[in-house]
Amino acid sequence: MKKWIVLSLMLALLLIGTACSSETDATSGDDDVLKVWSFTDELKEPIKTFEEKNGVKVELTIVPIADYPTKLKPVLESGVGAPDVFTGEIAFLKQWTDRDYWENLSAEPYNAESLSGDYVDYVFDLGKDSEGNVKALSWQTTPGGIFYRRSIAEEVLGTDDPNEIGEMMSSWDGVFEAGEKLKQAGYSLFPDEGAIRWFAKGEDPQPWVNENNELIMTDAKLDYFDHAKKLRDNEYTAFAPEWSPSWISGMDGPVGVNEEEAGESAEKTEVFAYALPTWGLHSVLKLNAENTVGDWAVTNGPSPYFWGGTWLGIYSGSEKKDLAWDFVQMMTHDEEFLTDWAKETGDVLSYLPVTEKIKGDFSEPFLDGQNNYEFFLEQAESIEPGIVTEYDQQIDTLLGGQVIEYVDGKKSKEEAIEEFYKQVQNAYPEIKLPQ
Amino acid sequence: MKKLDHKGYFFIAPFFAIFLVFNIYPVLLTFYYTFTNYEGYGTPEFIGLANYARILTDSYFYEAFFNTWIIWGLNFALQLGIALLLAALFSDLRFKIKGLGFFRAIFYLPNLITISSVAILFGIMLDWQHGSVNMFLQKIGLISEPINWLNQPVTAQVSVALILTWLWFGYTFIVLMAGIAGIPGEFYEAALIDGANRWQTFVHITLPLLKPIMLYVMITSLIGGLQLFDLPMLITDGLGTPEGSLNTMVLYLYNQAFRYNNYGYAATLAYALFLVTVIFSAITFKSMYRKSVKE
Repeated sequence: MKKWIVLSLMLALLLIGTACSSETDATSGDDDVLKVWSFTDELKEPIKTFEEKNGVKVELTIVPIADYPTKLKPVLESGVGAPDVFTGEIAFLKQWTDRDYWENLSAEPYNAESLSGDYVDYVFDLGKDSEGNVKALSWQTTPGGIFYRRSIAEEVLGTDDPNEIGEMMSSWDGVFEAGEKLKQAGYSLFPDEGAIRWFAKGEDPQPWVNENNELIMTDAKLDYFDHAKKLRDNEYTAFAPEWSPSWISGMDGPVGVNEEEAGESAEKTEVFAYALPTWGLHSVLKLNAENTVGDWAVTNGPSPYFWGGTWLGIYSGSEKKDLAWDFVQMMTHDEEFLTDWAKETGDVLSYLPVTEKIKGDFSEPFLDGQNNYEFFLEQAESIEPGIVTEYDQQIDTLLGGQVIEYVDGKKSKEEAIEEFYKQVQNAYPEIKLPQ
Repeated sequence: MKKLDHKGYFFIAPFFAIFLVFNIYPVLLTFYYTFTNYEGYGTPEFIGLANYARILTDSYFYEAFFNTWIIWGLNFALQLGIALLLAALFSDLRFKIKGLGFFRAIFYLPNLITISSVAILFGIMLDWQHGSVNMFLQKIGLISEPINWLNQPVTAQVSVALILTWLWFGYTFIVLMAGIAGIPGEFYEAALIDGANRWQTFVHITLPLLKPIMLYVMITSLIGGLQLFDLPMLITDGLGTPEGSLNTMVLYLYNQAFRYNNYGYAATLAYALFLVTVIFSAITFKSMYRKSVKE
């Protein structure tokens, strides 16, 4: 009996101990450090500027994106060791806007609502919760396009002008026609069938799940199966799945075949175009292309789309909301800072007062002098706001998986769609399936 | 009655306190979650036995169950086979192979590589069009068309089992060698004098006396194998593709919890996995023990 008393006493002591220490952690108000959490290092430079401007110290914690939501969630739920400012990626943005994690920026003293006209519509809209309160802002916009090789376009399609190529690519018939011509000349239109998923999404923009928790399957999404199958069956692609080694090496010439093997392999092909967004230029293409620098251009596909994006907000439990707001302000609507930032990184901003001034000045050597900035801003204007749900990332992945199984010939279209519904139901039992 | 000194409890209390907080408490909390639809946010809602009812009719769970078994079974058979063969060779008195220490290190080496590196390495090697495995096999004329290893259920499962074998046979080899070293040399000398050949020595002396060690290897491998997660997770980006063939029990659990936010159901899966592991460990133990008693 007695030992239990001793034991429980010890336990009580220990619990008191942890409770005390967690209290000191939670406040984080005992020093002048602004804590920022993000999933990339892109905030590093802005933070330096902010520190110099305000004479404060900012501590940036970078968590790789795969672990980011998992690591952040317990911290936000418990408030222990929570950051003052944290970013959200489009993949989990919508899971967070409707919780109380981010401070309501529509309220006093932020009044972010009044900024609505200054941003690209869809970007501003995405930072709102379901009641229309602004929870997070973003400095960038991430519309996508088709990056293609100028030399191949010139050779096969007769022109390398982005406007003319965009004209050809603006309909599915045009896409397949170009695919056929490219194939005849020994090229591949796209690296893989997944490249067209964004256009399938942008064609008839509707949310995956509506307010009644019903899954919405559009004809455009069903057509995605057929279009992907057509690409494969007609051999318009290079069998290089996104992010695979061959996908990467295709950016820099004939798909990743060793020089000595080149003669033997009949499968060797050169990829004509990649569907990538704004950041795809700086973080993907530029990093992986050496021989093809200056041989690229960007144009539109059958429909406008966007891919990715980072939003920024203040933790609702933060004790340094003023300083945190200063930082958010600098990142999202400080004209001087944003102008420098855009010129330095080429990041396409969503803050219109700045983009209006600078968009004419861009000329990208990688794209043979094309002004990609203006192009992307134009695309951003035509993106439908309000169609992103918290389920998108996962449901898109499930759909993509079934499309590939259909394309590979492992399933019929009906079987693949049925399996897709089954998987959605398994992942989200609360969603009602169509019919 | 003698008065006992209770001071000792103070010394062991830290362990129990930590054990309670970090082991027992989460285990009990997880058990509580199995009765809720907890999403990882806010307060869990009590839903009774719904999660248990769901698991019984969940085809994805059964699929994950069989996938895990197939991959583990193939991997274990190969791993034990290779390790036994090597152990027999290296312990053979008549072969007198030199450099045991060297080979032991070489065999064990794969086990020291981080699993993420292993996944990336094999991901590149097994690439359909440009992977070195296909290029090699084509060059020596074993296959004419490249095989899309990670895109067909059977080859994907076999690939993962082979990678696991490569990772673990060295460990098994070392444990078996230790077991063989524990068998008294007199038995082998006696067998030699009786004119037993290598095969007879192996089957009638080495194998029976190695049984306890093999039991140990099997149970630890089983417990580890049923928790197979990292390799399929990294190779398939957590999707368990192709056609769900690399969807293992723990990967399924992980996805339910962290991908789809069904924490309540994931907790139920965790308990199901626990039950499966206990049952099969018990069966293994029982069957091995009974056999050795008969002999």
